[in-house]
Amino acid sequence: MMMFMQLAQGMIVTVEIFLLTLLFSLPLGLLVAFGRMSKIKPLQWLVKIYMAIMRGTPLMLQLIVVYFAPYYVFGVSISGGYRFVAVIIAFSINYAAYFAEIFRAGIESIPIGQYDAAKVLGYTRVSTFMHIIFPQVIKRIIPPVTNETITLVKDTSLAFVIAVAEMFTIAKQISAKQASVTALMVAGLFYFVFNYVVAYIMERIEKKLSYYR
Amino acid sequence: MANECPLLQLKNISKVFPGNNKVLEDISLTVNKGEVVSVIGPSGSGKSTLLRCATMLTDITGGEIIYGGKCAVKADKGKITYASKTEMKEICKTFGLVFQNFNLFPHYSVLKNVSEPLIVNCKVPKAEAEKKAREILARLGLENREYAYPCELSGGQQQRVSIARALALEPDVLFFDEPTSALDPELTVEVLKVIKQLAAEKMTMIIVTHEMEFAKEVSDRIVFIEHGVIVEDGTPDELFATNNERIREFIGKLGGKK
Ligand SMILES: Nc1ncnc2c1ncn2[C@@H]1O[C@H](COP(=O)(O)OP(=O)(O)OP(=O)(O)O)[C@@H](O)[C@H]1O
Ligand SMILES: [Mg+2]
Repeated sequence: MMMFMQLAQGMIVTVEIFLLTLLFSLPLGLLVAFGRMSKIKPLQWLVKIYMAIMRGTPLMLQLIVVYFAPYYVFGVSISGGYRFVAVIIAFSINYAAYFAEIFRAGIESIPIGQYDAAKVLGYTRVSTFMHIIFPQVIKRIIPPVTNETITLVKDTSLAFVIAVAEMFTIAKQISAKQASVTALMVAGLFYFVFNYVVAYIMERIEKKLSYYR
Repeated sequence: MANECPLLQLKNISKVFPGNNKVLEDISLTVNKGEVVSVIGPSGSGKSTLLRCATMLTDITGGEIIYGGKCAVKADKGKITYASKTEMKEICKTFGLVFQNFNLFPHYSVLKNVSEPLIVNCKVPKAEAEKKAREILARLGLENREYAYPCELSGGQQQRVSIARALALEPDVLFFDEPTSALDPELTVEVLKVIKQLAAEKMTMIIVTHEMEFAKEVSDRIVFIEHGVIVEDGTPDELFATNNERIREFIGKLGGKK
């Protein structure tokens, strides 16, 4: 019973990491995509470098860097509460890089004629994006976003490297203590069910948007 | 006073694409209220570019575009000047453009395609905009397709929706870029019928087309363009009786297809 209570606490942390990362990385990813497509060359380069780093180095390393950066770079001592914040920061900036590429591909796949038609009908640049382009982009990017989201569920377990007690960390502790794999099995089942729910929700959204081609 | 101004004046328009690719050269064209002007010419002669310049989808590289006496844009030696933002907004309300491939908004129903620009860009209340959209759709024979999505319509119906969408904003001038060349002959007929109906209602229109019989029937004037220059600008009778060898050959070729 004790085991389940502990696991449940870890579960909450896992779900929190997952939801907060999505909440921050999706809008951030859109901003990054704009930077990537910007006509301002230096901005474009900056974004390209950022993306290369985020996608080219292990997320685990990024977690460690974000966690220790305040101490090594700014000389600020790290408080215990920062662990969780560091996880959210590291996950958000990492996933934003991936989402940015998805957004960019989505935006670039919208035919130029949509922009022409909108302009002639009096839409401003901003309202063209909000009313005409973005809704169509969302429909097109649901499948790749689903993939990333499922990866994110599993990636949350990486938070253990900076000792954030999410689900997997706790499961490992319990199973070491009890010398049995039950806790790990329960954790595995949890990730599976979590992903199943995520996939189901995304599928529903996809269906809902399938009223047009 | 304002009524006496031509609705549209193109003065010495030129368009050079990067790489010194001259597509339009010294094009001048005046269109008065109620006139229907057809633009014909071989493929690649610059007809679409001309419409894109006139509707300001593309920057001109020389000349001047005047709508209802107000200068919209002026370009000279690489320097381009547009009217102020507020003036531009007014000017852009005076024209509409119908595309060869419709460019309907796929995520909007037919009704929304027609009413949404009114709601978003002209701040017309929703109920009023939809009422107006319904009226126009009915006029174009689309009264029972209001809730369909563009992907569920035939090409001819899609093109009529895109005409309705342009008409909803009550433009003074309507441009058409080969409105029927993406359509089967049967569907072409239904779209041409709508345009003829508009001509009968004295809508001012500039139509790029390859349909010679239609151009002859509907136009007050026909303009022949080749290599980015206006070769001839006259009434259909004048144009069909021209001595210009190139035009005769062009008309003969297209007319002979039927
Ligand atoms: N964006 C562009 N950049 C460079 N060149 C272009 C561009 N758009 C058009 N052109 C060139 O301008 C010329 C005229 O093209 P345009 O589309 O205006 O011809 P058109 O008369 O409409 O032909 P069609 O009857 O085939 O539609 C072509 O040679 C084309 O290659
Ligand atoms: Mg063309």
